[in-house]
Amino acid sequence: MVGSNKNRKSRLAVRYVLATILLLIMVYPYLYMVLNSFADWTQVDRQLIPSKFSFKSYEWLFTGGDVGIARPWMNAFFNSVIVSIASTVLMMLFGVMVAYALAKLNFRGRNAINNFVLFHMFFPAIILLIPNFLIIQKVGLYDTYWAMIIPKAVSLWAIFMYTNFFKAVPDAFIEAAKLDGASDFKILYKIMMPMSKSITAVIFLFLLMERWTELLWDMIVVRSDNMLTLNVLLSQMFGPYGSYPGPLYAASVLLTVPIIIMFAIFGKKFKEGMQFSLK
Amino acid sequence: MINKQNNKLGWLFASPYIIFGLVFFLGPLLWSLYLSFTNWDLIAPTYDFVGMDNFKKAMHAPGVQASFWVTYKFMMLFVPLVIVMSLGVALVIQGLPKFKSVYLIGFFLPYLSSGVVASLIVQGFLSYNSPVNEFLRKTFGLNIDWLGTPLSALFIVGLILAWKFTGYYALILTSGLESIDKEVYEAAAIDGVTQGQRFWKITLPLLYPALYTTLILAFGVTFGIFTEVYQLTGGGPNFATNTWQMEIFNQAFTNLQAGYASAIAIMASIVTFISIFVIRKLLESWGKRNGWV
Repeated sequence: MVGSNKNRKSRLAVRYVLATILLLIMVYPYLYMVLNSFADWTQVDRQLIPSKFSFKSYEWLFTGGDVGIARPWMNAFFNSVIVSIASTVLMMLFGVMVAYALAKLNFRGRNAINNFVLFHMFFPAIILLIPNFLIIQKVGLYDTYWAMIIPKAVSLWAIFMYTNFFKAVPDAFIEAAKLDGASDFKILYKIMMPMSKSITAVIFLFLLMERWTELLWDMIVVRSDNMLTLNVLLSQMFGPYGSYPGPLYAASVLLTVPIIIMFAIFGKKFKEGMQFSLK
Repeated sequence: MINKQNNKLGWLFASPYIIFGLVFFLGPLLWSLYLSFTNWDLIAPTYDFVGMDNFKKAMHAPGVQASFWVTYKFMMLFVPLVIVMSLGVALVIQGLPKFKSVYLIGFFLPYLSSGVVASLIVQGFLSYNSPVNEFLRKTFGLNIDWLGTPLSALFIVGLILAWKFTGYYALILTSGLESIDKEVYEAAAIDGVTQGQRFWKITLPLLYPALYTTLILAFGVTFGIFTEVYQLTGGGPNFATNTWQMEIFNQAFTNLQAGYASAIAIMASIVTFISIFVIRKLLESWGKRNGWV
């Protein structure tokens, strides 16, 4: 067994090198985006790693540049923030409420609702695109924030995840609290939520990420330039900004960085939560 | 304990979903069925019932036929690619004594990207004057229209998706790998099992539950491809990347054929539903046949 320790060490070293190379390949697109957003405009998309830099691309984010629309990027950024946060908070709130009912309240019709949630979750969602668009139009919400928030206020996946998590919480906790006279709202708020911090971090991040990067729905229910989300604006500017790729990269950075920051903030809780959700 | 008060509370707590499910799921589902038998154009106040005409028309439309096949083409490309990549990553980083979570988080970052941003980067990277194309032109005299050639367009979209999902699936597979008892490997080492045998006879069978989850997720992705295709090819060239979502979007919101598009959406849902069901059954029987479940 003398040689095997050395062997093991060198095999470990090989794995580190391999992991680092793979990681560099995987994050290179991000690197390319960031470098091009700072690159001098003569070098955007011309070099693997640019050598001359400027802030001109970012200046355009604030001024709108020569394309003729003033400040569309920052405006779109705030639209994205409003829509994503409102929508994600509602998805979390309703997810917790419904899951508590399905996991811990014994009421007539619970099984039926439970089965319906599963049916809804596994149903191909594409069939709903046109009628949901028509509903938004009929009730006069077309081209408003509400059109992007209300149809995205409930997440089946969040309900499903919370239901599974709440089911694992022993009933004894709840019964003890009830004997002390706590209401169900209080139990949910004071007992269930503190216990589910890490799973909440996972659900929150996934929902926020998905909402922040939504394209199809946000694209069809909004028309005015000042209502577009950043993702939709970026998508529509491929053409008009075609000869100015620099600002498009800067806008991409603006779109990507907030999510990565959120991920960094919740990263530790996220790791714990993933362990549960993968069980 | 079912009593009156619990009944009330239960329905109260579940009410957000009940309302949502009725307004944005059950109602629309029926409306979609109704629309699919009409020739409504999204604007006109009146329309006619046309029976099965929309479905008959869709059956013979090149765009719809393309959607059907393109989904499976993406499947053949994306699923093996993403499984090999994520399994590779998981095998390399599992059990690393240091920095494992740094690697896991690094590999997870692409999952946070917007499909629009990924498309923009790829478009820039493959634009006519990009370093890659410049290199190919100067060295090999090759001038490739990456997104204008059916096979490479298909491949590029598949690659973007694989890039996005690799880290996420690697996370699932890593936790699967790490749940395997180390003693099994030690016992195998004593019995003189080779590296290859070790992977096929021990790792794979014990990894099967995690692999099953990953495969189901990956197959699911191929039925919902839209953003990258919309952004990079618009479904072209000549329908080579025309997914169901792309076709439905085009018919409903570009051609304003709400009735016809609803019929296509129903066909897409049925095809998706059956395909996923069959895939599940195949994966389960694959596991059972090998005695992994």
